[in-house]
Amino acid sequence: MSKIVLDPITRLEGHLKVSVTLDANNVVTAAQATGNLYRDFENMLIGRDPKEAAFLTQRICGVCPVSHAIASSKAVEKAAGFTPSLQSLLLSNLIQGANFISSNVLHFYQLALMDYVQGPQMHPWTPGYTQDFRFNATDSQALINNYVAALSIRRQAHEMGAIFGGKLPHVGNVVPGGVTAIPSGTDITNFRNYLNDITTFVQTTYATDVNKLASTYSDYYTVGKGYGNLISFGVFDTNTSGNKLFPAGTVTNGTIGSFTQTNIKEYVGHSWYSSPSGYNPASETTTPSFGKADAYTWLKAPRYDGAAYEAGSIARTWLTGEYRRDVSVMDRHLARYTETDKIAVTMQTWLDQLVVGKNYFTNLGTPASGSGIGLTEAPRGALGHWLSVASSKITKYQIVTPTCWNASPMDDAGIVGPMEKALIGTHVANTSQPVELLRIVHSFDPCTGCSVHVMSPEGMEMSNFVVQPLGV
Amino acid sequence: MQISRRDFLKWSVAAAVALGIEVSLGSVGNVLAAETDPPIIWLQGSGCSGCTVSMLNVTNPTTIDNVLLNKINMKYNSTLMTASGDLAMQTLDQSATQHKGQIILVIEGAVPTGANGNYCVIGEVNGTHLTMEQAVLKYGPMAKYVVAAGTCAAFGGVSAAGVNATGCATASSILNGKTVNPVVNLPGCPVHPTVLIQTLLDLILIGMPSLDSYKRPSNYFGSKIHSSCPRKGTTVVKQLGQYGCYKNVGCKGTSCQNVCPSMKWNNGQAWCIGVNYPCIGCANPDFPSNPLLKV
Repeated sequence: MSKIVLDPITRLEGHLKVSVTLDANNVVTAAQATGNLYRDFENMLIGRDPKEAAFLTQRICGVCPVSHAIASSKAVEKAAGFTPSLQSLLLSNLIQGANFISSNVLHFYQLALMDYVQGPQMHPWTPGYTQDFRFNATDSQALINNYVAALSIRRQAHEMGAIFGGKLPHVGNVVPGGVTAIPSGTDITNFRNYLNDITTFVQTTYATDVNKLASTYSDYYTVGKGYGNLISFGVFDTNTSGNKLFPAGTVTNGTIGSFTQTNIKEYVGHSWYSSPSGYNPASETTTPSFGKADAYTWLKAPRYDGAAYEAGSIARTWLTGEYRRDVSVMDRHLARYTETDKIAVTMQTWLDQLVVGKNYFTNLGTPASGSGIGLTEAPRGALGHWLSVASSKITKYQIVTPTCWNASPMDDAGIVGPMEKALIGTHVANTSQPVELLRIVHSFDPCTGCSVHVMSPEGMEMSNFVVQPLGV
Repeated sequence: MQISRRDFLKWSVAAAVALGIEVSLGSVGNVLAAETDPPIIWLQGSGCSGCTVSMLNVTNPTTIDNVLLNKINMKYNSTLMTASGDLAMQTLDQSATQHKGQIILVIEGAVPTGANGNYCVIGEVNGTHLTMEQAVLKYGPMAKYVVAAGTCAAFGGVSAAGVNATGCATASSILNGKTVNPVVNLPGCPVHPTVLIQTLLDLILIGMPSLDSYKRPSNYFGSKIHSSCPRKGTTVVKQLGQYGCYKNVGCKGTSCQNVCPSMKWNNGQAWCIGVNYPCIGCANPDFPSNPLLKV
């Protein structure tokens, strides 16, 4: 029996550690994923104007800020009893769509591909593992060339989103009441020119490369499968009645079901928190307790009806029926491509519906009291903001992020998280170069800045809760 | 497009001259002659990686592929680098040791000091984890230059907001008196990509820029957004989302200093005021102020 610790896992946002135990045949028998950053967002939000949370919560994650702005805005709009106009929703969709494309292209080429292809022989692409590279020189060179091209495409996707969002990362105007941009004819032409070029890249280069990867590494259709239970909160409003391009839902043991947010509970038995375990985000509290016995991460363990669910592109495309082959390392990559194509194509129709020169923003004012839940999806999965307001100030704010689902630790019932489950059973060919583990972890597109929970509504000092600081 | 390092350095110096930055031709000549790869170590603390993403968005002075392939030697950046685990930590330490006194250390995010620094662990060395605080204290003094990229690293920003329960500190406070040169602050949430990349190239080619009282390069942070705002003098509006000047609805452009009005964002496509929302002052020392917009 031996152990492999990978800390840091690079090529993701944030700070993630993975430890696995191997048996005598180098098969993973146990796995732990550790989120290594704690930020205490909730204290910062309490007492502030709820309309400002859209700006602050974007700063949880520089890779999916738009999704946080949208989730936060939806929560405040719910609390205020407000429904944005279709035009505002379209603008919001276009900005979020641009960020999805940028993130998905970044993920495939910049974050995941180096697990399969040798990069340029210079920093930051070297050193790296050399284990199990299968592409010939021609294909490798083509993939590296496309890595470089993808840097440009993901940048252009951000430029496209900024046309209506002001800047990326961290948009300037996605707020409760809608999006404040007033689209001009020039803006729409400009946006469409970007979108055409990006769509061409997605449908030719990305399509070719992801399929090339899948055919060359077809054994990865059976690696990193996890539970196969999938969850989505739904994203991209297509009308003002709540219909979405990717609907909310669950897949449980292969059966599609509805999604009810009250079925979510978060567990902290193995997380560095001393607060009560097993509450819905609307009613939970959180008290950090670094060094707590049997705990190994800053991530909590959200569960749906008591079971661990995986979030991300594969959940979204499974629910629409557009990708239902299976759940595995390679299926996640193909599902991510499938949805990128769908989003790019659909953005054209949203652009067609935009009406030029009008202001669709509604100045909401600040809700005096109430509560609201904002549910959407980040590129890497289901994202929810739970908010309460009293005397026009935030009194409670809870966020459940995609990587909380995917990289969650063992819960109180002993059920390990989806990524941990996906690692168990994996054969590591060369324990000094455990590339299989990286391929599995990267297939989830983890983002631990985004997974960092937010807490401590009482505003107590963290140092009071440090049970046992580790010697360093 | 992948021009040689020498050509680029020449071109970059020409650009610096055009911008009115004083250039010592002697030192530039040495850089050109040496053609060494200036090693950059980029550490991420309590933040969101938004500044790394913003760096990827650079178009001026050039695009990121050209920067990474031909201009700088990004030894360590956990979002971009291939190596993970031990290999990553070895790369970090070996690069710093081998190039001691030459490295440029870029710090993204604030540095948590609470819980003995354990609110942010950047990796594990020989079974012991390395906190961001320890890493900054270790590698800061080994660097020739230290750059605090973004408002969190420069001023604490969102990471240190409110009660700051994780004890987030700025790069310059952690390294006070411990560095060869003063920490160069490049605030912005995120850092503006041109400000970041041009500053890195200027450090390599020219040396320390002239810094203001907030230790920011004077040439990027010398004027308030309002003073060069294209909306200045337009109708002063009372509502967000209307076209006009937002100084009466809390716009922070009257205090915030950054390049937004001239360079805008994302290859010059847009900026916050251009999409009808006031400046929230994301480069300000007190960002995120409560309230964000001060009426």
